[in-house]
Amino acid sequence: MANTESLENVVLELRRGVITLAALSQLGTEQYGYSLLKQLSDLGLEVDQGTLYPLLRRLEAQGLLESVWKLEEARPRRYYVISAEGKKILPKMKKEWAGIVSVMDKMLA
Amino acid sequence: MKLIDRYVTEVSKRLPLVKGRKDIENELRSTMEDMLEDRAQKSGKPADEAMEIELLKEYGAPQKVAETYNPTPYLIGPRLFPMFIMVLKIVVAAVTLAMTVVTIIQIVTLYPMTGMEVLKVIGEGLLNIVSASIGGFGNVVLVFALIERFAPAAEIKMDEDEKWDPTSLMKEPEPSDIKPWEPILAIVFLFIVMSIFNFNRQFLSLSYSDHAVWFIGFGDFVADKQGSIPLFSAAFFRWLPLMNAAWLVEIILNGMLIRSGRWDISTRLLSIGVKVLQIVINVLLLTGPFILGFTVEGLTAIHLDAETAQVIFSAMKQGMPILLGLGIFGSVVEIIKTGYKAITQKQSVGA
Repeated sequence: MANTESLENVVLELRRGVITLAALSQLGTEQYGYSLLKQLSDLGLEVDQGTLYPLLRRLEAQGLLESVWKLEEARPRRYYVISAEGKKILPKMKKEWAGIVSVMDKMLA
Repeated sequence: MKLIDRYVTEVSKRLPLVKGRKDIENELRSTMEDMLEDRAQKSGKPADEAMEIELLKEYGAPQKVAETYNPTPYLIGPRLFPMFIMVLKIVVAAVTLAMTVVTIIQIVTLYPMTGMEVLKVIGEGLLNIVSASIGGFGNVVLVFALIERFAPAAEIKMDEDEKWDPTSLMKEPEPSDIKPWEPILAIVFLFIVMSIFNFNRQFLSLSYSDHAVWFIGFGDFVADKQGSIPLFSAAFFRWLPLMNAAWLVEIILNGMLIRSGRWDISTRLLSIGVKVLQIVINVLLLTGPFILGFTVEGLTAIHLDAETAQVIFSAMKQGMPILLGLGIFGSVVEIIKTGYKAITQKQSVGA
């Protein structure tokens, strides 16, 4: 029981670390929160809405994302898109990620 | 959709006072409506209340959802916590010291007073220390909580890394390890002292025997004893409860040293506490009546001639305040040394 809980926590920590990169990488075209959530899920990354929405707000506060409210199907939706600043740091983050993957692959081989 | 609206209102009530609160509400509502619509499409029937309930259950308690939007879920976060603890210790120590000094001054200025009055002043002093420490704690928490809340992270950089110089490790550190026999010896000695002062006062006497020798203690065990006078007066034993307290704390301190095998922050702070108590006792002894049991008459009764008795009495009377004064000075020096070691140890641990 304790082992399962520990494993879940570790997996959660691992995922949490990559959500920022995942979200930024998918917001080249504008998307609202739920569509992004579904897209990430379709690609294999299950993210809790309680994690994603506050993260999107933080990234916007940091200037990495921009958002705008749009009225669609009689429902207002907040659309997010990567900002100029976000576009600048995304390649660096990708490079960093590639480095981590390469190192971890070597370690875990 | 009624339930979703009510749910959003419940979440909103619990949201921290952040900018864009309305935005959060709208986004939450819109997302939940999207999710509900999605589920309705998948199930092939229109969304109903049961579906809403299922969705809300999955989304979780409003409090939990609101917490995810809290940018600082701490009263005092990890960024400020080490500094908070350091300031808190300093404030509580300073308040305790100040209140102790105030109590001593009260005792000295109100002297002479009965035992009960002294106990009352000491009791009030202890209560003042507790209430002032709680007040100090509250103020420090308030200040740090306000800094945490309103000072942007960028403005308070914990630049320990920039300041810290690895070459500082080249300086030989003060040895913190202690030999195990030292605290054991100290405890044994303290027990002997406590036992003598509390239960075997006959050892605290100056006696004269038939063999024309004076000796301290063991008065009751010498058959040919001619006369005996106590070493300490009643004024001295009035403060015995306080002395017992100091000795007990010192025994506890040595017990902690045996367990840990080295000086650390808590043992150093306790050691400072013992020294403060010793200063208090020395001040009380210094400002009260003569603490030795000698009188000229008593000294002549144990076969000293009148002139020698007078000289010894005068020397003791004048010498004792000097001895007590030196004791106080020594304790102050020890407090400064121990405080310095505690701070430097803290810094090296922190670094």
